[in-house]
Amino acid sequence: MGIILGYIATLGVYFCIYNIFAFGLNIQFGYTGILDFTVITFMAMGGYMAGVAALGPEQPGSGIYYVLGLSLPWPVALVMGAAAAGALGYVVGLIALRRLRSDYLAIVTLAAGSIVLGIVGNANGLFDGFEGLVGVPQPMNGVLNLTPNAYTVFFLGLCAVIMAICWLVANRIYRSPLGRTMRAIREDLDVAEAYGKHTFRVRMTAMVTGCIFVGIGGVLTIWFITALAPAGWGTSETFVVWAALIVGGRGNNLGAVVGSFLVAVLFNEATRVLPAIPAFPSLISEIRNMCIGGLVILTLWFRPQGVVGERKARFFEVPLRTASHEQVPVPAVVASGR
Amino acid sequence: MHQPAAVESGSVDEILAVHELRRSFGGVRALTGCSFGVERGSITALIGPNGAGKTTLVNVVAGAGRPQSGQVIFDGCDVTGRPSHEVALGGLIRTFQISREYPAMTVLENLMVSPQRQAGEKLSTVLFHPGRFRSEERRHLERAVEVLAEFGLYEKRNDYAKNLSGGQKRLLELARAVMADPKMLVLDEPMAGINPALIERLADHIIRLRDTRGTTFLMVEHNLDVVERMCDRVVVMAVGQTLATGTMAELRGNAAVVSAYLTGGVVDVRAQG
Ligand SMILES: Nc1ncnc2c1ncn2[C@@H]1O[C@H](COP(=O)(O)OP(=O)(O)OP(=O)(O)O)[C@@H](O)[C@H]1O
Ligand SMILES: [Mg+2]
Repeated sequence: MGIILGYIATLGVYFCIYNIFAFGLNIQFGYTGILDFTVITFMAMGGYMAGVAALGPEQPGSGIYYVLGLSLPWPVALVMGAAAAGALGYVVGLIALRRLRSDYLAIVTLAAGSIVLGIVGNANGLFDGFEGLVGVPQPMNGVLNLTPNAYTVFFLGLCAVIMAICWLVANRIYRSPLGRTMRAIREDLDVAEAYGKHTFRVRMTAMVTGCIFVGIGGVLTIWFITALAPAGWGTSETFVVWAALIVGGRGNNLGAVVGSFLVAVLFNEATRVLPAIPAFPSLISEIRNMCIGGLVILTLWFRPQGVVGERKARFFEVPLRTASHEQVPVPAVVASGR
Repeated sequence: MHQPAAVESGSVDEILAVHELRRSFGGVRALTGCSFGVERGSITALIGPNGAGKTTLVNVVAGAGRPQSGQVIFDGCDVTGRPSHEVALGGLIRTFQISREYPAMTVLENLMVSPQRQAGEKLSTVLFHPGRFRSEERRHLERAVEVLAEFGLYEKRNDYAKNLSGGQKRLLELARAVMADPKMLVLDEPMAGINPALIERLADHIIRLRDTRGTTFLMVEHNLDVVERMCDRVVVMAVGQTLATGTMAELRGNAAVVSAYLTGGVVDVRAQG
């Protein structure tokens, strides 16, 4: 019983985390049209920073090396992780957003992701290189004294609360004039610029906000599995987040939720329980990626807007002051120019 | 250098003045020292053969392209080389030769983007003080509905802009520009590809906007009947320069203009320039 509950809670945790990733990518890509092909790098940044903030000082003989080691409480670690991901997003944005458009920008984000992976992997003193951080303390695990399965359920609750906050923030942005301007930039950057929108600043806002979301997801990830190494955040993980958003429906946070459920939970996690074939140890994960790839292709083929596409904006119906629609007299706001 | 035929001196109030603008793309010299002024509150036409550099000029004026040399003065400020959004915030809005609506947004949303310096465009306001832009939003919405009604697009307000007809997109382009409350509108061929009845309506809209709001217009236009009917002054461009300025009647008597534009003899102009 406890095991089943723990398993379901585990899936629930991944569902929440992928939702947060997908919201972040949605703000970047779905709202603003920024092709961020290195989503997972920001997840790693958030996770690592929260890890080194929460871990105690590096032990000399342990063979594990990392910076900071501040033994900070988990809420502070969460904020630091989110901020670090946002800061990295800002740096990548400075390089990618000032001059570049869609496809070139995508290549720059890919390159930036590779550079970060190379640095983190090789600079052992940063986050313990390719070995990665281990033994990251879990929030309140020390004080609660729960069984592992019960703790997973507790952790699911924490994730759900954080996800709900992210959901509210993402939707509030979408519905605001800021969200509208982001979508206008997605539709036509030059036109938005010609209408007085500081498109660089708005795109940067979207980039950094999205990275903060993804970073928060990264913090939850490292808390949940208590470890993080470069092998866990390769390009294929970015692909899973993209697949979730494309399949679910970009521009709609409900789509992000549906996509996370279909791709990240149903396909990604559920296939992990398939029996492993000893002769082909990596077969299951290959099958999983093939299934997700197929799902993306089918979606783009038959339902390009995603399962739940972007919804039409509805405004409060303002009554027209005059009955006739053509040639309503215009109030003389400005005096005649003649 | 070739001097434009009639450059007015300080006596008239010019909202826009360009001086000796030069812009080339690699070997192609699109602007070769273009100078003219636009009187405040006028409807000025910019005409010239295809490839004369009209769109390039609009781009340079609106900050979408930097001139290699020369000056753009708008409303008393030197805006040469400023980014487009700054020029737009200064009160100069341009439209594009090919309609460029925001396709996957509704007609009403297309208008709602336009108002400048919206309080709700700041992230901190959106997150922590959402009440601060609610009344502003309501005001913009009322105005947008009004403008849509003026332009006969009210019934289409909840349609995606990409589903409008070509002519309706032209109307939307102008309606959207009006929402930005500009001092000056620079229109790049606003009447291209629309039927005569709609041309009449667009012309009426432009004249009405000038008369009621005092908006200044500079419009690139190939249809000389339209130009004659609605424009106060005409600037003629050929091979990147101002060939002449004046009223349509004056220009009909100008041999260079007639050969350059009215009969399409570009070669003669090049020889002269
Ligand atoms: N981005 C560019 N790169 C290279 N050449 C360009 C570019 N933009 C314009 N040109 C060239 O500059 C010249 C002027 O072009 P422009 O578009 O300004 O003409 P136009 O007067 O608007 O013509 P039309 O009436 O056909 O719209 C043309 O020879 C064109 O080929
Ligand atoms: Mg042109």
